[in-house]
Amino acid sequence: MNRRNFIRVAPMAGGGFMLSFSGFAKAITAVTGTTMAADAVLGDFLSVHPNGDVTFKVIKHEMGQGVTTSLAMLFAEELCADFRKVRVEFPAANPTRYPESTLGGHGTGGSYSVIQMTPILRKAGATVREMLIQAAATQWNTTADNCYAENHFIINRITHQKAGFGELAIEAGKLPPPAEPKLKSRQDFTIIGKGQYSKTLPLLVTGKHQYGIDAKVPGMKYALVARCPVFKGKLASYNAAKAMAVKGVLKVVTTKPIAGVQGPVYPYDIREGVAIVADSFWAAKKARDLLAIKWDEGVNGTRSLADFEALAQQRGEHRTDPVGFTGDENAIANIDHVKQSLRATYIFPYIVHSILEPLNCTAHFKGDSCELWLGTQWPEYIIDEINRLFGLPKESIQVHLYPSGGGYGRRAFPDAAIEAVQISKAAGNIPVKMIWTRDDDHQTNAVHPYQRMDYEAGLDADNQLYAWYEKECRTYMWDRKFPATELTTNGYNIPNIRYDFEDLTNDSILQSTAWRAVTSNGWALSECFIDEIAALLKKDPYEYRLSLLKEGREAHTGRTDKISNSRLIGVLKLVKEKSNWGQPMPPGQGRGMAVYPYGNAYCAIVTEVTVHDNNITVNKVTCAVDCGMVVNPSGARNQIEGGVVWGLSAALYGGVPVEKGRATAGNFHQHRLMRMNECPDIEVFFVETEDTQPWGLGELANPVVVPAFLNAVYAATGKRVRKLPCKLDNV
Amino acid sequence: MAFLHFTINGEAHSFEVDAQMPLLWLIRDYAGLTGTRYGCGIAQCGACTVHVDGKAMRSCMLTCGLAAGKKIVTIEGLSPEGTHPLQLAWIKEDVPQCGYCQAGQIMSAAALLQDTPSPSAEEINAAMAGNICRCGTYVRIRRAIRTAIALQDKTISHEQA
Repeated sequence: MNRRNFIRVAPMAGGGFMLSFSGFAKAITAVTGTTMAADAVLGDFLSVHPNGDVTFKVIKHEMGQGVTTSLAMLFAEELCADFRKVRVEFPAANPTRYPESTLGGHGTGGSYSVIQMTPILRKAGATVREMLIQAAATQWNTTADNCYAENHFIINRITHQKAGFGELAIEAGKLPPPAEPKLKSRQDFTIIGKGQYSKTLPLLVTGKHQYGIDAKVPGMKYALVARCPVFKGKLASYNAAKAMAVKGVLKVVTTKPIAGVQGPVYPYDIREGVAIVADSFWAAKKARDLLAIKWDEGVNGTRSLADFEALAQQRGEHRTDPVGFTGDENAIANIDHVKQSLRATYIFPYIVHSILEPLNCTAHFKGDSCELWLGTQWPEYIIDEINRLFGLPKESIQVHLYPSGGGYGRRAFPDAAIEAVQISKAAGNIPVKMIWTRDDDHQTNAVHPYQRMDYEAGLDADNQLYAWYEKECRTYMWDRKFPATELTTNGYNIPNIRYDFEDLTNDSILQSTAWRAVTSNGWALSECFIDEIAALLKKDPYEYRLSLLKEGREAHTGRTDKISNSRLIGVLKLVKEKSNWGQPMPPGQGRGMAVYPYGNAYCAIVTEVTVHDNNITVNKVTCAVDCGMVVNPSGARNQIEGGVVWGLSAALYGGVPVEKGRATAGNFHQHRLMRMNECPDIEVFFVETEDTQPWGLGELANPVVVPAFLNAVYAATGKRVRKLPCKLDNV
Repeated sequence: MAFLHFTINGEAHSFEVDAQMPLLWLIRDYAGLTGTRYGCGIAQCGACTVHVDGKAMRSCMLTCGLAAGKKIVTIEGLSPEGTHPLQLAWIKEDVPQCGYCQAGQIMSAAALLQDTPSPSAEEINAAMAGNICRCGTYVRIRRAIRTAIALQDKTISHEQA
């Protein structure tokens, strides 16, 4: 590798200069343990302006989880930059320049961005810092040891000479990169953990932040699609005469159904539809309402949610072979040991995402190439699928990346982009902005997987929890069948645990997809079943949980991350201390607790509710979080607060009613979300840790608050609600 | 189609549009002010909130025909430098996550404070109940409104002094 090539200095329009990292292979290989081609670049990653301003390019998707700020902080910390002088930009997607294997890629999900990017960005920042120091040392005829970086300057310890980053960047760019730049120690941090205001705030409060839906392209038209209201249905025929008569309507075209990548990974679905292309959104909307369409609804056209749930019940109740177990797989049926059994079924239903910026994509198919403008969690997947479906070379597919008005997993899939490209092509290779309306979003969209959790507990003669049986039926699969990473996450010290699974994908009446925290939403309902066991044994739910955990013990469930009992205990103790746990409450009020990990982060929540005439008010939610090193305290707290509201919306109003194959709840008047007048006080506390590895927390809180809420409802009413949405009238 | 005149953020605009078209699309796609957001189209989420003759209105339901001739203020026109007390408070309290709803939130809060300079907690909740935040930043929005009230009071007492 040509080490000189590591940082290239290129003149920029306007008199600045750009440092682009070329041949970053060696530095990154050391971090990630993988190799890459010598000419792979981390180009356009950072630029330095003559005034010293640093522009940091955010390759991950910003959708409200705050990576713009937290990733910039990680980089700026090691660079010893003045964080106010760090500007952020969102570059176009470029899988070659930002390869997933070494630089993390653009793919954003699984609460993984800070976990993945921390070593890469800290090392990159340290590399540039050491090169700036070396440049200054050379200029001052001294050694690098005699110089240090501080707040955007390099300073000579002996002579106290100072030089700004801007002044040194060109000379620094000519130097070979250090092979092993030294990372700062945690006690020297001035940015990480210090609470930085979001980098996008000034744009957000003035309306200038641009989302995908704001993209504007010369000659652009607007498109709306009437999609088949029934999952897996087809277009039979349509008449667009009235629609075509609406002023402003240019074309009516059809979009093809695509059951995307039905192989082992990340399936998605595109429903067949009729698209209106018009010169305004409004003309397209009016025209769409006038379309006369006949659908061939297929088998789902007569099915309701109740039909599907009856089938799920059959599958849930019949015994299968275990896909994972510890101890004796048949312990639950061992009458020599099991003297008392408890069974319960919990359901985490289909739920829509309701991302506030509805799905949209602007696309321009040009015959031998295409351009797209949108917010996406995974542009690489879009490029792969457009290559597969339209036969365009990958390098001819240009994806302009925008931040999103919410993603929550839904924007990891390429369907909206493919629809928009189909429309652009069918309309004669013109640029079109396709927008989903809110009703489209709620009635024809992919949803949270339906998860039916059948639990059984076996207690021995001493009332010890001897056996735990759990069967999950779910409408979506990730990766290969029954992968270890899909095993449920039970950290309790139970001698015999068994996990069974059935895939309901082919029986599902809606397409399932990733929905914030994905499978953890159903799995964490085990925290309700634990509460039921504690109630049966007349034990305090906090004390009962502690009795099932052992300091220092790590549970191996087959997943990558072992489950640390010590960290579960840590968040439980913290939440108890902060939440008035155990204090008496007046009748009609109750307090519930739950604890659950996501990846390698841990969260315990206590929820307080008041129930009056079967109406539930959530009064207060207290959260204790152990996510390793907290990079951005304000942002981290925001994610937990938001996760609580997200989970409570699901608990109170979740579920997708389906009749005759149609999702019947349209707009927000039928599909409710928590509003400010219903929002409880939320307090968030972090476990202090010496760790320097942060663990993701965007998906940590929402699975935990749901069982904490249901357990609180039980404490207040004595009623067990085992299915969302939580309706006391039916219990 | 009708030729209609609007005053948006103090500037005169004229467009030939369908008088039945919601004002939202005129603001976004004709006037090019994208800070006003589409979220639901039926006045359920508040992302499209603007001020029409000083009152908070959901621009996704208000037709261009009815809005013509009225004074319309969008988030871009709330303050010339982005220094309205609510905008400053939003920054201080680090409110947004994705931010998509926040222009609407700020416009609803601004109309509230104009009519009720010192709202109670209940009045804040009631005035803001029409604005959905899917990311769930309600706790911070509440706090930021109180911070803005404090900033406003400080400015007023400063002016009086």
